[in-house]
This record gives sequence, C-alpha cells and structure tokens, in this order.
Amino acid sequence: MSERPTLHLRDRTVKALKDDQMRQAVRKAVDRLSGNKDKAARELPNWEDWREQTKLIRQHTVNHLDYYLKLLTDNVRKAGGKVYFAPGPEDARQIITGLCKQYGAKKIVKSKSMVTEEIHLNKALEAAGMDVIESDLAEYILQLAGETPSHIIVPAIHKNRQQIAELFSKAAGEKVEPDTPALTAFARKVLRNKFMTADVGITGCNFAVAETGSITLVTNEGNARLTTALPRVVISVMGMERVIPTFEDLEAVLSMLPRNATGQKLTSYVSVINGPRKPDDIDGCEKFHLVIVDNGRSRMLADEEFRQALHCIRCGACFNVCPVYRQIGGHAYGSVYGGPIGSVITPMLEGDLEFWGELSYASTLCAACTTACPAKIPLQDLLFKLRQRRVSAGHTQAFEKFAFGMWKRFFKLPSTYKFAMKAASLGQKPLVNNGYITAKLPLLANWTNSRYMRAAADTTFRDEWKKRKK
Amino acid sequence: MTSIQEDAAQETMFLKNVAKALGRDKILSSRPGRKEVGPPAFWQEQEFKKEQPLELFKANLEALTGKVAVVCDGLEATNQIKLWLKVLNAKTAILWDHSELRKYIDVASLEVKSEFWNSDKSRQELIETAEQADVGITWVNYAIGYTGTLALFNGSTTGRSVSLLPPTHIAVMLKSDIVPTMSTVMRHLIERRGQGQLPSAIDFVTGPSRTSDIEMDLSIGVHGPYRVWAIVIDN
Repeated sequence: MSERPTLHLRDRTVKALKDDQMRQAVRKAVDRLSGNKDKAARELPNWEDWREQTKLIRQHTVNHLDYYLKLLTDNVRKAGGKVYFAPGPEDARQIITGLCKQYGAKKIVKSKSMVTEEIHLNKALEAAGMDVIESDLAEYILQLAGETPSHIIVPAIHKNRQQIAELFSKAAGEKVEPDTPALTAFARKVLRNKFMTADVGITGCNFAVAETGSITLVTNEGNARLTTALPRVVISVMGMERVIPTFEDLEAVLSMLPRNATGQKLTSYVSVINGPRKPDDIDGCEKFHLVIVDNGRSRMLADEEFRQALHCIRCGACFNVCPVYRQIGGHAYGSVYGGPIGSVITPMLEGDLEFWGELSYASTLCAACTTACPAKIPLQDLLFKLRQRRVSAGHTQAFEKFAFGMWKRFFKLPSTYKFAMKAASLGQKPLVNNGYITAKLPLLANWTNSRYMRAAADTTFRDEWKKRKK
Repeated sequence: MTSIQEDAAQETMFLKNVAKALGRDKILSSRPGRKEVGPPAFWQEQEFKKEQPLELFKANLEALTGKVAVVCDGLEATNQIKLWLKVLNAKTAILWDHSELRKYIDVASLEVKSEFWNSDKSRQELIETAEQADVGITWVNYAIGYTGTLALFNGSTTGRSVSLLPPTHIAVMLKSDIVPTMSTVMRHLIERRGQGQLPSAIDFVTGPSRTSDIEMDLSIGVHGPYRVWAIVIDN
C-alpha cells in the first residue's frame, strides 16, 4: 500500500510550497483541465441528471458488490479468461509475478494502472528478474525519473519538458530536443519496440462489465490497445469496486469519465476486452487473467459512512478544483491517491487514522470537490467526518485538546463568556500590530505563521450594545 | 516453483468477506432489482433528424483533426482512398478482409502494395506487415455522431492491429451505419451477447492517438495513428 513518508503532512507541505516550478505546472494543468471540464458540462444536456444517474449506478453496484463480482467472475471464465482474488498487496504481487514466471516472461509492458501502484508491482517484477516498462507516456517519464504519479489523470504534470528531455537523452544515450513533438516521437519509437517484443501485457481496469465479463480500458494514447493486442498473455488488475452491471451502464459512465477528467466527449480510445482472443482470431492475447484486489476496500465497504467513497470513477475532477491540491501538488499527500478523494480513501484503505488521517486537514472544506464529483460523493463531508473520528480517537495534539477544552469552559455560560471576551481584548494588546495578531507565540504561531488573525475589537459587542442603547 | 491456479477457496473467502461488509451472511446470488439503468431517461428518449448523425459525426471528427469524405458509391470511395494514399505518399496498405469492404472498394486499383488481414499469413507476419504498413483500412460496424467515434468489432479477419499500428487509419462506412449516440451500439452488443456472438475486442476510436502528458501540450500520434480519416458511402 502507500509507503509511509518520513515527513508529516505539515512538513511535506512546506517542502512542496518551495517548489515554484512544480506549483506553476500544477496551476497550469488544473486550470486547463477544469476549464475544459466546465465547457464539456455545458455542452452535454442535463448535466445534473447525468451526475445523479452515475451516482445511482455506482451506488447500486457497490451495495450489491458481492453479486456483481461473482457475475463478473463467471462471465470472464465463460469468455475463456481466468480470475484470481487478492485480499492484500502481497497476495496480488504473488499471483501476478507467479503468472509471469509461469509463462517464462522476460519482458513485460504495462499500461497505466493505479492499483498496481498500490501494490508496488513493478518492484516485485523487477526483483523477480523481469524487465518492466510503463507505456503511458507520463508513466514512462516517471519510471525513468524513479518517481510516482502526482495526479491520477496526468501523472507527470510536475515535470517540465527540459527535465523530460534530460531523462530521455540519458535513456537514449544521445541528445533528445526539449520540444514536445521530438519527445513524443522518441517515446513512440522506444515503446513501439517494447510492445512488439513483450511477453506479457499488464493493464489496469477502468470499468469491468459484470454481465459480459468485459474489461474496459480508457486511454488517449492507445497504449492500452497495444498492451492487449500484441502480447500473448494479458493480465488485468482491478480494484474490486471497478465493476458496473451492463453495457448500458458503460455508456453512462463513459459519458462522464472523459468529460470530467479532460473535457473530452470521449477519449481517443475505449477498448472493451472480452477474454482472450477467439480460436480464429489472429491478434489479441491467447491467455487472459483478471486479478481482483481488495487491499483495504472491504474495510471501507463495511463502513456505512465511507462506503460511498467507493463510487469514485477516478476522473480526477476533484483534484482540479481543489485549492489545496492547486498549491501543494500531488506528492505532498504522500499517498498513492492524492487530492480530495485520496485524502478520503487513504486513511480508510490503510486503516490508519492517526498518520494517514492527517490528510483530512489537506482541505479547506470549501466543498468544490463535492460540487465537481460526477458520482456526487460528498467529499468534504467525509473529510470532516475523518477529522471528527481523529478527535474522538484522541489523535489530536495536546495543545489543540487544551484549547478546545478552554473554549468549551468559557463559552458555556454568559458570565464566563463575558469575562473571556474582555480578557481577550485586553490580553492581546502586546501582540497586535495594525489590527492583526502578528507576534510569534510558541503555540499560537502554528496558526499565525500561515494565516492572518484579526485582533479582537477594543470593546466587546455587548459593551458597545449597552453604550448605544443609552 | 509453485504454479498459480484459480483458487476456489480464496474466491469464496474473498466474496464472503465482501458480503459480510455489506451485512450479509451469504453471497447474494439472485439478481438485485434496480430502476435506473444506463444513461438518464431523456438521453434514451431523444430523437434525431435524419441527417443529424452524419452532420454530427463529420463536425466532431473534423474537430479532432480527422477528415470525412462523403461519397455516392464504391467507385467514388475507391477513388477517394486512392487520392488520399497519393497525398500520403503511401506505398503499402493493410486491410481488413471484410466482405463489405471488398464489395465497395476495388483494392487492386489502389496502386499500393496491399495485404489482407486473414489466415493466409501467420500472426507474426501479419503483425509485422501492419507495423510496416503506411495505411490501415477498416470497415466500420457503427459510427457515433455525437462523439465522432468509430466502433470497430475485432475478429479473425478484422484484426486490432490494422486500425492501430500504421500511422494512418482510413475507416470506410455506410451512411446508414452512423448512429446518433452510443446507445444503439450498446443495444446491439447486448443482443450479440445474448446470441453468444460478442467479439473478443471492441474498439471505440475517437480521432487520432494523442497525449497532453508533457506540459499539457497537445501532441498527436504517441502510440497509435497520427491520422484517422473516414469515408462515408451515402447508400
């Protein structure tokens, strides 16, 4: 699962805020993506009906996930594929590396998959002596850089073309010019050769259609098509909630995913794979394997408040409108999934409120994420609930507990409240500068270092009221 | 070395755990009832004028740098392809061995070295031929107006590589196969599935291969074709 970072959220944020190049790139990307999405939302009639429908489809599926997973499994097998179940990351790695070994695979080509990031698959395959290559352009860049995705739709937005040209030049052993067509052409040439010679293709899964046993892959580059058309063995890895009932439902979610992700009506490619190739088919895989991964999802499913976070269709729209993501980018979250949805699901997937629950504070609770979500997941409510749970579990700092204890004591009775207000307006005097509290006090500085704190008024409202009534 | 097998016990445990999380003792085995299926009701009920699907298809594909030529018959279609092959300076083409494509297009007169996707050649030879070809030519099962999409059903003589490996993809279709939205295609697929006739792969292709992964800068042709051009035969 997510490897625990050594730094806490606060320190990761401080580090991210110093990276101007990354922050500029993130701002540019999210503005473009959310602008395009808004345009797409205006173009498609009755946008809110589509959101409601998406929510209902996802809700129905997740609420009957046992039934639909069984149906999916039966239909994948009917189509000639094999299905495996992995409760945890270790199980998933073992199944996938085991299958690759069984086929004597030396070269593996992958198309973009977040769930394989969760289970750290590449490391395991490399440790088993296999050559693994990421074929999504952004993932390829990150693989060369030894980094992780910072956005679920555009994973390498934090890198600029100079940095990419350096990585490619190093890989090529000759200079690759830092302009987009040259960089793309280089990747096409290198990766085309990898596709042609790969023994096994590994894909993720955007949507699995239960009724037909189909795996649907959504890409713009076409790398998922190449990954499934050329190698003789294909292994698809899916988080267990990525299922929908029928092809009709597929039309609904496909109408939402690209529009919300990039503002496209449809991505360049949507590939629907129904098991291995038929006996007469010439291309396509001979062996098809589906690995269904739990990895903390059943914990979230059992939690009635957080179950709805499994309705997510992984479009990234919540990243693109989030004022916090905009400032700190994806890596500061420290988890496989960043942005608002990542802040909600990471503590649940990890079952760790104390460390990963900190992510609930990577939010202003402005609700832009909730408004943007095509599946209508109330993300900011869930972030708020995480904060409540952390407090109830006693994971908050001693000073915070003390401060709220004092607040409770003084705000309980009119007499103590009155006293507190007077004391505040007098007691703050040495700290105030131009109407703001600017002096650095050891504990208060946690707040005043990053926020403006208005000084309390000279006279309290009650005194002012009394005076004016006279 | 332990071999990896499907594991019935693991499967049952996994699914039971899912059922338990949903508050059930047993895995749900009867189809749950539901009211809302697929796109919103208004979408499925909307009506389109006769010419609208083609108009939409053309506008949408052209907006994605595609070309759309509307022709009257097979002769015109053949001439249009010939013209495009000249423009591209194409020397080789690989084609689906599809009866409709053969019926409308006079392949011998295209003036390029052409190969058909069929079992006359081995898998390896065909894939390499497609990889080396300048153009891949397919017959479209359905085109979708609303998004400018080609729906390709892949099979024994209709290989996936033909629309994928060459730098240019020319798709030929009948005007009557252009439908307004994806709904028609999905209904058709559900019917085929009922007859056990679902193709092993269905590709929805909407314009050329593209990426914005480098500084959000749009770049065409990263893994798949740079060009997707369509010929519509007005039957």
